Amino acid sequence: MAAITGTSISLPAPSRLLQQNQASGMRSVSLSIHRKSFPSLGLQATPLRFCVSCAAKTETVEKVCEIVKKQLALPADSSVTGDSTFTDLGADSLDTVEIVMGLEEEFGITVEEENAQSITTVNDAAELIDKLVEKRGA
Amino acid sequence: MLSLKKRGALSMQISNFARGFFDSSSPLVPVALPSQRETHIWYIVPDEVQNTSLLNQYLKLLSSCERESMFRMSGDKLQKSSLLARTLVRTTLSRYTNCQITPRSFKFRKNTFGKPEIEWGHYEEWSPPALHFNVSHTSSLIACGVTVDKLVGVDVEEKQRKIKNDILSFARRYFSLHEVEHLHAILDPEIQRQEFIKLWTLKEAYVKALGRGFSAAPFKTFTIRFRATRSDGLQVPTDLISEASEILVEAFDDPKSLSNNWQFGLLELANSHYAAICMEKENILEGKGNDFMKLKVWKTLPFVEDEYVSGTNAVKIICGLSQCLHL
Repeated sequence: MAAITGTSISLPAPSRLLQQNQASGMRSVSLSIHRKSFPSLGLQATPLRFCVSCAAKTETVEKVCEIVKKQLALPADSSVTGDSTFTDLGADSLDTVEIVMGLEEEFGITVEEENAQSITTVNDAAELIDKLVEKRGA
Repeated sequence: MLSLKKRGALSMQISNFARGFFDSSSPLVPVALPSQRETHIWYIVPDEVQNTSLLNQYLKLLSSCERESMFRMSGDKLQKSSLLARTLVRTTLSRYTNCQITPRSFKFRKNTFGKPEIEWGHYEEWSPPALHFNVSHTSSLIACGVTVDKLVGVDVEEKQRKIKNDILSFARRYFSLHEVEHLHAILDPEIQRQEFIKLWTLKEAYVKALGRGFSAAPFKTFTIRFRATRSDGLQVPTDLISEASEILVEAFDDPKSLSNNWQFGLLELANSHYAAICMEKENILEGKGNDFMKLKVWKTLPFVEDEYVSGTNAVKIICGLSQCLHL
């Protein structure tokens, strides 16, 4: 069932499609809801952040994506999201260690080697960073 | 002479394969098992594999799990690399079973710590060899090391690989003090970068040989040391890899482990990569007779061409290895 175009083999990749859907559907994202002031009816009891799980801040995820793209020399428009795993992006162990070091420098944190090992996706990294930054008392 | 013998066999192979290029029944050439203290390395250069028909033939060798993993990779280049890595492992291992076990039929599992190993079936009247293997990728070369009975770890890196972080900062963060000092003493930044890469591959090869995952042997918990043999036969520490005759590892939580269980080899492969091999060794009682690890290297394009490259420019020993010039 191969569609052969030029030198690359392309085959339907259903599992990849699934993953992309998951990215938009199931993963929670923390939203900062900035409202202009409501008419004063006192209804504004809403929290400013809506979190289903302790997900990473969007800004952290974006920053991690940026550092990952730089380390792996990916084009700026390449698809790197919170769900991207480092290995699927082509990172080898040296890349991963360099990325962690880049993140440490960027966020002013230290990542213990055991924790570094459990980082497999961009989201993992961002969540760990947020935790460490909070502990440090940014 | 070796080259005549080799060329004769090879041209026969090529003419056979040229006919059977698109024929999926072109046989793999079987190979004799590595002996004790011997490592075999098979490598493939992805950029030289362009034929889509051949790639599709390789695709048929993968398990559905491997195919899924392959398609999860981002982009054609990474997918092709994943495909070739699995093809390399399967075809290489098949050769050591005299091709009785086809590449497609190998099964793999992960050990308790996640290191891949062969899951042999049950065979009447045949005992599978105790093969150990380890794969290493870069975007421009994929290598598979094979041993019998001994744990093995292989790591390859491009010689030209640029480190994004400052090398000494990186080393202070991740390497042992001794290794930092070794790098710090090198003034030429280009040589320092090369030595860094060599050290990295050696450390990686050790962790991969242990097979217990990075967290079981964080880089800071062990150090690589080099020893040279003086003209009077005495072995002394050296800071220059180029002078070293032996590479050792010392684990800090077990200082007596100095080189007891593991031996290392370092080489330049295909003029483009550094490759490090770490292999388990038997304890030698008196530490005498410093037998180097023996090495045999093939460059392969499975089902098309195999080239035995030991003794050619494609293999330059740096330390700790002796080449088998004759197959």
